[in-house]
Amino acid sequence: MARSTKVVASIGGVFIALVLLAAVFAPMLAEHPPTETTGLPFEEPSANHPLGTDDLGRDLWSQLLFGARVSLSVGLIAAVIATALGTGVALVAGYRGGTIDAVLMRIVDLVLSMPFLVLVLVLVTYFGRGLSVTIALIAGVLWARPARLLRGQVLKVKEFEHVVAAEAMGASLWRILGRHVLPRLTPLLSSQFVRAAAVAVIVQSGIAFLGLGDPGSVSWGATLFFANNSSVILTDAWKWWILPPGFALTILIVGFAFVGYAAEEWADPRLTGYGYRRGMRRTLPPHPAAPAGEGESLVVRDLSVHYETEPPVLAVTSVHLRTRKSRILGIVGESGSGKSTMAMAVAGLLGPPGRIVEGEVVLGDTDLRRLGRVGLTKLRGRRFAVVPQAAMSLLDPIVTIRRQVAESALMTHADGKKRASELLSRVGIPVDRHDAYPHELSGGMRQRVVIAMAIANQPELLIADEPTTGLDVVTQRELLDLLDRLRTELDMDILIISHDLRMVGGIADDLAIMYAGRIVEMGDAAEILRSPGHPYTELLLNAFPPVLGPRRPPVPIPGDPPDLSQVESGCRFAPRCPKMVDVCEETVPEQFPVACHLVVT
Amino acid sequence: MRRVRRLALQYGLVVLAALLLNFVLPRLAAGDPIDYLMPPESSPLVTPEQREAILASYDLDGSNTEQFVTYIKNLTSGDLGVSIRTGQPVRDVVVGRLGWSVLLVGVAVAASTVVGVLLGFAAGWRRGTKRDIVLLSGVLAVDALPAFFVGLMLLLTFSVKLDWFPVYGAVAAADISGWARVTDVARRLVLPASTLVLAGAGSIFVASRSALVSELGEDYVFMARAKGLNDRAVRRHAQRNALLPVSTAVLLGFSTLVGAATVVETVFSYPGLGSLAFDSVLARDYPVLQGVFLLLALIAIGANFLNDLLYPRLDPRVKDIG
Repeated sequence: MARSTKVVASIGGVFIALVLLAAVFAPMLAEHPPTETTGLPFEEPSANHPLGTDDLGRDLWSQLLFGARVSLSVGLIAAVIATALGTGVALVAGYRGGTIDAVLMRIVDLVLSMPFLVLVLVLVTYFGRGLSVTIALIAGVLWARPARLLRGQVLKVKEFEHVVAAEAMGASLWRILGRHVLPRLTPLLSSQFVRAAAVAVIVQSGIAFLGLGDPGSVSWGATLFFANNSSVILTDAWKWWILPPGFALTILIVGFAFVGYAAEEWADPRLTGYGYRRGMRRTLPPHPAAPAGEGESLVVRDLSVHYETEPPVLAVTSVHLRTRKSRILGIVGESGSGKSTMAMAVAGLLGPPGRIVEGEVVLGDTDLRRLGRVGLTKLRGRRFAVVPQAAMSLLDPIVTIRRQVAESALMTHADGKKRASELLSRVGIPVDRHDAYPHELSGGMRQRVVIAMAIANQPELLIADEPTTGLDVVTQRELLDLLDRLRTELDMDILIISHDLRMVGGIADDLAIMYAGRIVEMGDAAEILRSPGHPYTELLLNAFPPVLGPRRPPVPIPGDPPDLSQVESGCRFAPRCPKMVDVCEETVPEQFPVACHLVVT
Repeated sequence: MRRVRRLALQYGLVVLAALLLNFVLPRLAAGDPIDYLMPPESSPLVTPEQREAILASYDLDGSNTEQFVTYIKNLTSGDLGVSIRTGQPVRDVVVGRLGWSVLLVGVAVAASTVVGVLLGFAAGWRRGTKRDIVLLSGVLAVDALPAFFVGLMLLLTFSVKLDWFPVYGAVAAADISGWARVTDVARRLVLPASTLVLAGAGSIFVASRSALVSELGEDYVFMARAKGLNDRAVRRHAQRNALLPVSTAVLLGFSTLVGAATVVETVFSYPGLGSLAFDSVLARDYPVLQGVFLLLALIAIGANFLNDLLYPRLDPRVKDIG
């Protein structure tokens, strides 16, 4: 939970506690009983009556304290009943499904769309004004919202593996619901509970304010009813007659609302996460970076990226890298090796908590790190383009693909729509699909659209992060061929990231092998595939046997990647390396061309 | 089209359920129906013959099924019964108040949606910053103020102390007309509508903020940055998507506002349906109460129906699911 939410939650907790204290200690703090005439009507505040008296000479201070009891108990009891009822309906509807579900949900919709207060008002008229009747009626109206939201959650939880497994093993319905489903509902349940409590307090005070509350009990709403009836706002008495109960109600409802918001964030983790993107500070190297050399385009020097979590993760360490004009550089490594982090850092797309702690990034003669956020945004999509990971969901679901491509094309072309169509055709999308929405296209098609956006402004460099992950082998091949073709046609260089050494090796001119945040080997692709220099590269090649040629079973690399929150004290691959010698554990090997003590350069 | 027909069928059933509810509820109430149909002081004096006659005149003499059939028949011909208090047809009484309610609640819904969405998006875009926390806690706090308390405070400040707005009613007198009438109505609308906005904008704010924060974590937003769009364009993508859940929140907020209007209309003596319901409760004018209840239910159901009907225009994915 975000720190700000904790602050909000604790303020809410303090407010509720205040009301609770007033409710508990009311008899001790108030000298007079709240419902009896103990003074003259309309008395001003005095030592005897700290807040004066009402039109019947009843002590307002006492009413304020005792009113806490009514509001608090109405809120809590109604919320308990409403959430219990809602949970029951949700479990039955969500778990049983079918007709029962359909009928129950229509009822829920009906109750939900009725104006709460009016409904309760009508019901109070028909069923009487007693406090317990009011509570029951409020609960009878409030259960619908938790029922609807919890049902959605039940539907989700029902499909969880362990629930399905428990079902398959013949666990009883009650056991499944109680042991497996209910615990998963707890966050949502608690946020709905607090919300129901707040609404219950509002509705009860509203009814009491209209003079339809329980005639026998003291409540803040009732105090305000008498104040309103006596036209108190026309006199000075509003200061002690209206403000205190008004603010007391506010404090309690704010308390519930704050705690409820925190609970809601707990129920929906998407609401937490890291804050606004401008959060991370920038540290720049002391001198401007030297431009890229002859025949080079992107040059990365000594780049280190950390995730500033607790403890910090050293995701990328001292990486040197360069792409050459019109050539494809493949970066290969296991997941978690830092290759995506490195690429996103280069493109200026690293969100918090990731931070570049050191290094230079140069595109041609432009020092990218010195450009700042806005400057880099202006270059991105124009001089260099990025195809991010997770292609399936990269497109805006409610905008046609042509408009999304046009949005990119408009940066350098006047007629964005026309250019977008050209681009879409160029990447192989048939003309009749140009106005489709993303959900109407296959995964491969969607990835083509993303590529069309990337090449819209003829960038010098394309950074493609796992562009084929999650697609079938044939589509993967087609997409790689497309990238290869575009590279030649548009004369751009490509930096392609993958975990599949053989596949990338097929189109890359150069390869860089990454392990645990470092590049362990870099060089000509064909050369590396033929005779790998680093022991890790060799093992990686065995893990992906060639598609053509004699069949060999893949050999997995034993052991696990190291913990990147530890500072390295030697070669990071040493613990898994079959050729390890003493020096490997003592000294960190230099990067180029092969970061291995055993390879003599 | 199939979707529309299915929705119409579903909502037809809901309307039927609402009618049934409206029919059953008064009959669940304890006591002799005659007590509900007469001023309390005269009901003990009724003779059995008079009783029969009165019940017959309110169509309360047959079996429950017969009564229900008559009830539906009368409804279809627009007959909602007669007000006990004034003797006017309930339909006329209710329709006469409807306009003011539509004006008040309509203005409040529109204004609270605009305010809530704008502030919610502003806070969500800057999630986690000081501005966000101040906005969030501020709005939650204002939202927690009970509507009648806000109304009283506004009345106190702007009408009693500052004398900027009239205290009472929706229009000064029936005989003013033209531009003077428009400005008078507008002036009298400001405070009750503001009260409702303060009461209703909060939930829309929270929904907008949450929706935008969730959307900002989606891959397509990252893609928007990756393709080099500036903050404004990135934000536009996320906001359009965030509006989808917000439209549901506006709808739920609508029914809350109709409820809050009851209280607010009472505070400001505004002649809408809410204060009519309240007056009918006090006067035990049950036919009117039933009429108001039915009308509000139908409006709420209609709003839901409209939302379901228009949702596919906002979200192209819905069309296919149908």
